[in-house]
Amino acid sequence: MLKVLLVGSGGREHAIAKAFYKSGYEPKLFCVSELVNPGISKIVKETGGEYYVGNPNDPETVFQAAVRAGVDFVFVGPEEPNFRGVPDKLEEEDVPCIGANREVAEIEMSKASMRDLQWKYMIPGRLWYKKFRTFEEAVPYVEEYAESVALKPARQVGGKGVKVIEDFQVYLREDKKKVKKQHVESIYKDYMKGYDDMDFKILIEERVWGPEYTLQCFTDGRTVVPMPAVQDNKHAFDGDLGPETGGMGSIACGMNLRWGVNDDRAILTDEEIEKSTEIVRMMVEAIQKETGRKYHGVVAGQMMLTSIWGPTIIEMYSRLGDPEALNVLAVLKTDLVEICEAIIEERLNAIKVEFEEKATVVKAVSPEGYPLSRDLAKGHPAIVNEEEGVFWASAHLKENGVIETGGSRLIECLGVAESIPEASLIAERLTSKARLADGWGLFHRSDIGSEKSLERRIMLANMAREIYKYRERKGILGKRIIWIPGKGLEEVG
Amino acid sequence: MTGILGIYLFDERWNAGSFGAYGLMALQHRGQETVGLELLGKNRRKVSGEGLVEDVLNKVGFEGHICLGAVSPYPAEAEEDIQPFMLSEKVSVAIDGKVTAVENYNWNDSLRYEENLRRAFEKFSKGSNDIGVVKDFFDNCKGGFAYIAVNDKNEMVAGRDPLGVKPLALGKFGFEGGIVASETCVMDVIGERVPISPAENIEPGWAMIFTPFSAKWIKSSNCHKRAYCSFEYVYLARPDSYVNDIPIYRVRRDVGKKLAEESRVDADVVIGVPETAIPFAMAYSNETGIPIEKGFELTGRRVRSALRPDQFERLKGVQLKLNVISEAVKGKRVVLIDDSVVRGNTLANIVYLMKEKGAKEIHVRIGSPHIISHCPFGVEVPPEDELIGRHLSEEKIAEVVGADSFKYLSLEGLVEAIGLREDELCLGCFNCVYPEV
Repeated sequence: MLKVLLVGSGGREHAIAKAFYKSGYEPKLFCVSELVNPGISKIVKETGGEYYVGNPNDPETVFQAAVRAGVDFVFVGPEEPNFRGVPDKLEEEDVPCIGANREVAEIEMSKASMRDLQWKYMIPGRLWYKKFRTFEEAVPYVEEYAESVALKPARQVGGKGVKVIEDFQVYLREDKKKVKKQHVESIYKDYMKGYDDMDFKILIEERVWGPEYTLQCFTDGRTVVPMPAVQDNKHAFDGDLGPETGGMGSIACGMNLRWGVNDDRAILTDEEIEKSTEIVRMMVEAIQKETGRKYHGVVAGQMMLTSIWGPTIIEMYSRLGDPEALNVLAVLKTDLVEICEAIIEERLNAIKVEFEEKATVVKAVSPEGYPLSRDLAKGHPAIVNEEEGVFWASAHLKENGVIETGGSRLIECLGVAESIPEASLIAERLTSKARLADGWGLFHRSDIGSEKSLERRIMLANMAREIYKYRERKGILGKRIIWIPGKGLEEVG
Repeated sequence: MTGILGIYLFDERWNAGSFGAYGLMALQHRGQETVGLELLGKNRRKVSGEGLVEDVLNKVGFEGHICLGAVSPYPAEAEEDIQPFMLSEKVSVAIDGKVTAVENYNWNDSLRYEENLRRAFEKFSKGSNDIGVVKDFFDNCKGGFAYIAVNDKNEMVAGRDPLGVKPLALGKFGFEGGIVASETCVMDVIGERVPISPAENIEPGWAMIFTPFSAKWIKSSNCHKRAYCSFEYVYLARPDSYVNDIPIYRVRRDVGKKLAEESRVDADVVIGVPETAIPFAMAYSNETGIPIEKGFELTGRRVRSALRPDQFERLKGVQLKLNVISEAVKGKRVVLIDDSVVRGNTLANIVYLMKEKGAKEIHVRIGSPHIISHCPFGVEVPPEDELIGRHLSEEKIAEVVGADSFKYLSLEGLVEAIGLREDELCLGCFNCVYPEV
């Protein structure tokens, strides 16, 4: 009998566990993680596997779990185990693993290296950036040049610490400059604290606008197979308001974010999906060439359709997105075990990876306090009516049977239907299935996948498309042409 | 009238002070008598005074990441009544429009308006300063109004009456927070530049509550009746704003087109009275083919003369604002387009100046119907015995102001230009029919 070890315990991993549960190979599922996800725990029990409580980021712990379970392969869910060399250890010990090894995962772990690589190999969709080792080094740049920028920790630190400041109105510049400086300081002192695994700590990129989408792909290092494009919603509250989160919900339909199965309105065009896939493929090729290592697992472009480039890389993922994983796995027709085996044996080109033509909408339900005060969001007893479509995320099943919130999204609710607005209604209904026994508040976004929000996104895509197409016609796609008075013409890009 | 503004930034490191000051500047056209700005954060302070935003708020010496502000066209009777004013010791509010009654409260006419509201709130809230209670209080208020309130827990609520008489819009500032304001032009001035419409209309009967951990929409009314103030479209709002999702500039252009259809006249030149009537005049010119010219030059600062409380100030405003450029009118038959006529004396002044500079004929066209009645919801309309349109015919008015002809826009023309149904609008000042609140 086939045995699989799953690393991680979020909503994404619950979705992966479900996909294995559906497999015709009927694998025994094992899991290693610090928190006990009630949903995964149930599947583990039903398939006759075992749940190991341990640090999923520690290569030795994961390896020992794999040995104890005697698994055929390991599937790594989150990014941090990749950064800590979990796949490397398994590879060394001849345990097959679906998960980017430490060196190729660099494209996600170091946002600065990712940009270096993208510029070195002249891969399309590259933004301007500057990287800094210290706060002091970054200050003059923030003072003098930074206008509309994205300020990021140079390392992936659990999706936290990014601040995007649009700075156009000169009369508000001083206030914005002050906050920019303070934020760069906290990137250096707080967000990057304890991460000594890279030289550069601060990344400053140009700010761009346009609809965002995640293009997740399976890869065996030779072939890159795209999954349907998914649009995540990062703002915490309704109407795209409030602080950035790991994702409050996501939508997908067909490969290119269509309105519905029988509705041609779409956020992206087929051509844009092709271009995006090509960009991801080029990134995989570049990182393999650079490191001499093979990429086995999932790679994703967290992209934006910008007016400057069309498809543009915002960040790279070395794993499935959360909650984007739920959208794609819900419509995956091909057996996940077959895909994993093809990746391990590097024959992904020989199998057909197919997806159902369905619309999917995911809505996350979070305890109040998330994302800015996670401590307040943590430790509340949760009661969830488990139903088809409800996925457990940041929740911990204690030995006494009580389930506590972990501080991030508690559950993720999936709706599947013929169109995104219809799927949204199904997901919306499921959000009421959770409550906290101590009366602490939960929140979710009711607008994700609504007709109004979909219309706005299509409109935004059309506006970005009109401008980048003009650039394409002019032959200046991605180029920035600036007249510097007294200095002359400068062309970058 | 009154321009109200609320800024809620989640990250405490922000100072919303300058955002507030520039945001209020974008609302200055809604009121030029008093300005108030309150900042909340670690501390809570307010600065207020009489005059324009740039005079009163030239130096805000304190900080806060949450801001409540207002510009008002009414002189305040007492310092403490300058908007935003304290509704209780812990709750401040900015209101556009008028609360005309509060359920279970006997309005005392011998007290000031603000004092009545304070007493009503005290009775209703029983000392609570919960932001939900503030919202419930305004759900119990009758009238035509939009409000933004804050409390000492750094929470904010913004809402509209169920009929939607007064406008209110929500804009965003990236991942940092939200902006609520009377008009969407505020988002262009202080918000994030987003290529699609920068703001969302807040639906009548809805409110949004901001707390340090959440931003929530709450629907408090199932009323489907609407009574959007039509005066917003003709005069009050800025042409770069959207009111109830309708672009003001589009309405102003259609008003000019309607005027051309309804009361065409043979002439050599079209001239609009700055600022509001300029889009009317442009559209009138495009429609008729009569060329448009710049007829006036301004001296000093731009003020909205019609909003000035006394006659001397209004005339002074008009005379300084409207120096006729003689070359534009000399020897010509002029179509002179203005937005509204209240008493008629500023118009008479303009016509006189223009004739003096050599205009051969002057045909006055007004981009709104005759104003014949008061506004119960806070738009300053003088007593009815002062309203020229209530008492005189168009022919008579032409004689009084010294014009060769004088025509209003018809009520139907106005409704069509706005593009809503007549029963969705409050047209009270034009037809004496008021919505039941």
